[in-house]
Amino acid sequence: MLSRDFVSGLAAVLIGAVYLVFAYQLRTSALDDSVGPGGLPRTYGWLLLTLGLLIAAGALIKQIRSGTALDLKLEWKGQGRRIVWAGGLLAIGICYIAGVSTLGYPLAIALLLAAVALYQGARPGLHIAAIGIGGAAFLWAVFVLVLGVSMPMGLFAFL
Amino acid sequence: MEILYQTAVHLGDPYLFLAAAAGVAWGILGGAMPGISPSIAMALLLPFTYTMEPTGAIVLLASTYVGAEYGGSIPAILIRTPGTNAAAATVIDGYEMNKQGKAGLALGISLYSGVLGSLFGLMMLMLLSKPLASVALAFTPPAYFALGILGLSVIATLSGESLLKGFVAALLGLMIATIGTDPVTGSNRFTFGSSDLLTGIAPVLIMVGMFAMSELLVQASDRSEGIKVLSRPRMEFPGRKLAKRLAFPQAIGASIGTFEGVMPGAGGTIASFMSYNEARRWSRHKDEFGKGSPEGIAAPETANNAVAETALVPLLSFGIPGSNSTAILLGGFLIHGLVPGPMLFTRSADVVYGLYAGLFIAALSLLAIGMLMLPVCIWLVNRPRPYLSAFIFALILSGIYSIHASLFDLAIMLVAGTVGFFMRMLRIPFLPAVLGLVLGYLVESSFRRSLVVSGDDMSIFFTDKVSLALLVVAFLFVAGSVGKRILDAVRHRPSAKYSEGSE
Repeated sequence: MLSRDFVSGLAAVLIGAVYLVFAYQLRTSALDDSVGPGGLPRTYGWLLLTLGLLIAAGALIKQIRSGTALDLKLEWKGQGRRIVWAGGLLAIGICYIAGVSTLGYPLAIALLLAAVALYQGARPGLHIAAIGIGGAAFLWAVFVLVLGVSMPMGLFAFL
Repeated sequence: MEILYQTAVHLGDPYLFLAAAAGVAWGILGGAMPGISPSIAMALLLPFTYTMEPTGAIVLLASTYVGAEYGGSIPAILIRTPGTNAAAATVIDGYEMNKQGKAGLALGISLYSGVLGSLFGLMMLMLLSKPLASVALAFTPPAYFALGILGLSVIATLSGESLLKGFVAALLGLMIATIGTDPVTGSNRFTFGSSDLLTGIAPVLIMVGMFAMSELLVQASDRSEGIKVLSRPRMEFPGRKLAKRLAFPQAIGASIGTFEGVMPGAGGTIASFMSYNEARRWSRHKDEFGKGSPEGIAAPETANNAVAETALVPLLSFGIPGSNSTAILLGGFLIHGLVPGPMLFTRSADVVYGLYAGLFIAALSLLAIGMLMLPVCIWLVNRPRPYLSAFIFALILSGIYSIHASLFDLAIMLVAGTVGFFMRMLRIPFLPAVLGLVLGYLVESSFRRSLVVSGDDMSIFFTDKVSLALLVVAFLFVAGSVGKRILDAVRHRPSAKYSEGSE
């Protein structure tokens, strides 16, 4: 079992490496200053990579020294469930982004309100529909009528 | 004297009055909701400020901070759950007073001390900001670079248990800041052919994503009902005798709050606990502490409200946000094209004086709004969590869309929220990432301009006296933090717990 520190070190290494690949693809021009557009990005990339390696190495040494596999299991306890629950909420957000242009803001936000409430453990019933419609009406009033934001209308283009 | 006059000119502005009152009310509600920190309450408001006039927008955000610091004490006293980190010290004696049937008095002491702390903090903010900013007026490009480095060195104090992770977070922020147009040559970087990325990623998207969205994602798996407030206390203020007794702990709170506020990275939580300890040390009624001492509420509540004002000193003077909340406030400034720092006092003095006036109104209106909002707060705390989460999610999505009418922005915010969620899981503080993001442009452009000026001579950063001084201070910040961690390790004392940054 890997410790959270080790995973964070690896993640930093991975991000740093990917970033560096793109940083080295930045074009240079004869008109550039001596540092150029790629100078600092490359420095940041190498720094992140190095720090990631340091964190991962430190975590590994700590793990080998203490040899506490049980503690590591406890450290990750419940995290998988948290990721799944968070993923569900995120999926609702993604569905909203995908559907708001077609459905229109009033319907999409009402559905979002109802979906999130149900997902978070509210009991199904007519009150959920009421909260969805009431909440959507309130947000419509605030954003469209008061703040004058041009929300996607979709099916509600007639409004 | 000029500061007072200029501030007084703005006091009659009804727009500022509305912004301050709305900010305080929103802040109290946000602070009263466990899980909604002052920075999250401010982040939720951030998208709304786009359409506002700059001074009103800044006042709205700053007043939210003031209101939230008091709001946090309501659940701390009533249900033993601090609404904000800074209210944790208030739990100790506040809840004890509640158990003794003195919840109304505890809330009254909290509110009254909060108002005093805010007023004292504001006075110190007005006294300190301009002189410090005028020092910074003489800054050259190398000095600006060093200032950016100093700002980033605050990471050392905000990184919780691992300084390396703090630097990793800062580098992530700096990397995000490189997306878009290069500050010197104007060429495109990391845009991958997307026109949406040409102007870079707006800090507001990252801030709302990391602070508010990640909190929602964290709470997504929480199915607990939450503790309900069963009592209906009526606010009660201390009489003359008790007020006299509270004066000294309030003075302690105001002094410590000022000091901690001015120090980037310290924040309201440290100030509250330090004030509580000092108030107990100097009290004639030491035995009462922990058993429902009114002094145990007065000191921390004065301190955290003083911090809400004095934390603006480094932000206004040098453009360095030392806490989550001031980072969000910096986002508010940037939205309106205002860059906090030395030039703010000359280019946009009106905004600064308007902010002072707004904060004065906020501090005074805290008293009235705090009393009026108590039943609303109790009602809100008792609402089922699923409906609140749903409403906050809808508010975030609507607010972010309203900035540029862009679905791409919503996607960026969700990505930032997901990154923030995993950063929390891996115990990587995300305030350094926000610092890196907002200071990235300053650091890169000043660094490269300095080298252009010096003909690629790196010694310019050490020959420029201001730059040298700032770099030395930055070094001391990091060295001090590293030294403390080594000392903790040698003494087998646990170093500071993982923190998402001070409020």
